Amino acid sequence: MASYAGKVRQDIARWVENGLINAETAAKLNRDVEANARRSLSFGTVLAMLAAILLGAAILIFIAANWEAIPRITRVLTVFAVIAAGYVGGAWLKLRDYPAFAEAAWVVAAAAFGGAIALIGQMYHFSGDESGAILVWCAGTALAAVALRSNPLTVMAVAIADGWLVMMLLNGFDFRDGFDFPYLYVLMAIALFLVSYWTRSQAARHLIILSLVVYAGFVALSDDWDAMAIQLAIGSAAVFAAAVYASEPLDGLLQLGGRLPLHALLGFLVGMAILQFKYDEGGGLILTSALMLAGIVAAIVLAGRESRGLRWLAYIGFAYELVWIYLVMMGTMLDTASFFLAAAVTLGLLAFVIMRVEKRMRGHAAERGATS
Amino acid sequence: MTGKKLVISAVVLALVQIGFLSWMIAGRAAILRNGTEVLLKVEPVDPRDLLRGDYVRLGYEISTLPAKLIADLPPGQTTTAGGRIIVRLKKDADGYWRPVSAFLATPASQPGPDEADIAGTISGGWSIEGDATLSPEYGIERFYLPEGEGRAVETDMRVRPFGVRVALAKDGTPQIKALMDGDKTLFEEPLY
Repeated sequence: MASYAGKVRQDIARWVENGLINAETAAKLNRDVEANARRSLSFGTVLAMLAAILLGAAILIFIAANWEAIPRITRVLTVFAVIAAGYVGGAWLKLRDYPAFAEAAWVVAAAAFGGAIALIGQMYHFSGDESGAILVWCAGTALAAVALRSNPLTVMAVAIADGWLVMMLLNGFDFRDGFDFPYLYVLMAIALFLVSYWTRSQAARHLIILSLVVYAGFVALSDDWDAMAIQLAIGSAAVFAAAVYASEPLDGLLQLGGRLPLHALLGFLVGMAILQFKYDEGGGLILTSALMLAGIVAAIVLAGRESRGLRWLAYIGFAYELVWIYLVMMGTMLDTASFFLAAAVTLGLLAFVIMRVEKRMRGHAAERGATS
Repeated sequence: MTGKKLVISAVVLALVQIGFLSWMIAGRAAILRNGTEVLLKVEPVDPRDLLRGDYVRLGYEISTLPAKLIADLPPGQTTTAGGRIIVRLKKDADGYWRPVSAFLATPASQPGPDEADIAGTISGGWSIEGDATLSPEYGIERFYLPEGEGRAVETDMRVRPFGVRVALAKDGTPQIKALMDGDKTLFEEPLY
């Protein structure tokens, strides 16, 4: 990214020299480049964040080891000191213009907060309430994100919430209650989504929407009734349509950097794939397969031009669909040799479709480039 | 955000989080200091796998509770909806405390002499008819051990009766005080 900023600055200097733009415009452009380059992720930021995550993990493991060499009151006070030093020291670093180290220090402090909860649980032999402990950790991290207006802390809070969700989905099975779903997650997702506006965390919003798709998929999978899968597929299709036809206002509201169609397509594919598990023969198979393929084609036609990621997700969906149709239709009739033949035909068909679509999209892009 | 505001936010945030953690510790220490002390008999839960990482799992005599003990059962009800249960314990001749009655709502009477209430939770759907038993959990089903000491405790627990001394708050919240090997105190918890 830094190289891009540098190149633009050279270009601006040249444009001024050639009299294309005046000095005032050049200054404005330079300021804009500067501001945007700051916000982008640099290699240093990534390294600082990795260091913070490792340090946070070290603190958590150190505590989990229940090390008896230090009296536990000392251990608690040490963790308290890490929390205070992390938050306040991070703020100090931010003011000294080391934003990457500042965010890293905050992440360490938030990890230490989680570690302290675990340590207290261990000191007093708490049992059976990991769920509550993780929720408290999540709430504490979200509070820190709000107080410090931190993008990484928002992502961390979402990641903790997602960890909680996965834990609940995997362990939540109770043979007396049936699958006891953590519906609380939907509320947490909404709250964290609101927090992400204040902290300007687009990454957190993406993560939340992805986890909601996963959540809906889990609910649909465990449900005997197909309502959830149908709702997921139809809802995603509706969101997709809205994202394409009202992209400006919708992206202004959700601020997802124009990637809402990608999430919607994923939701549609997940919902349809789950429906297909349930209707794997006769009319149901034909209908679901036709809808799936139509949806994929519609996605490429409507939004494929703008997004390479969306096209590749559509190809993956297409490949999945071909394999699925093969599995339920032919799998029982054909032997191994025929399997390879069918696989060859499938792959060839897939390659053909991908090449055709990519060529068309490139053609469009070139055309638009020529006219503009 | 201006510089001063950011530093103030960070300081307040650190104080709030540390304050919350201290409040957790203070609550537990208060139960240890002021709670009614009872001795509960440990029963092996899963003979193959008591030791989980750095703690032993503990099952208690009172983890299996005859449904007949429930004193405030609405007539006609045959299953519990789950949730909180208060179990009233009384000291027996051998020193261990055993259940005498249980309540699904707040008990109407105060515990008598040599009696104490412990709060637990039961998952719903259990039958409470006839000779049915309930399996409440009290949140004291773990004992964290110093590294490397788990194996020995686990082995001993299978051959000798173990006990746990528990402090009970007024509302029944239990807090483990010590792990007992017969009459001998193995690990005693300091307040902090």
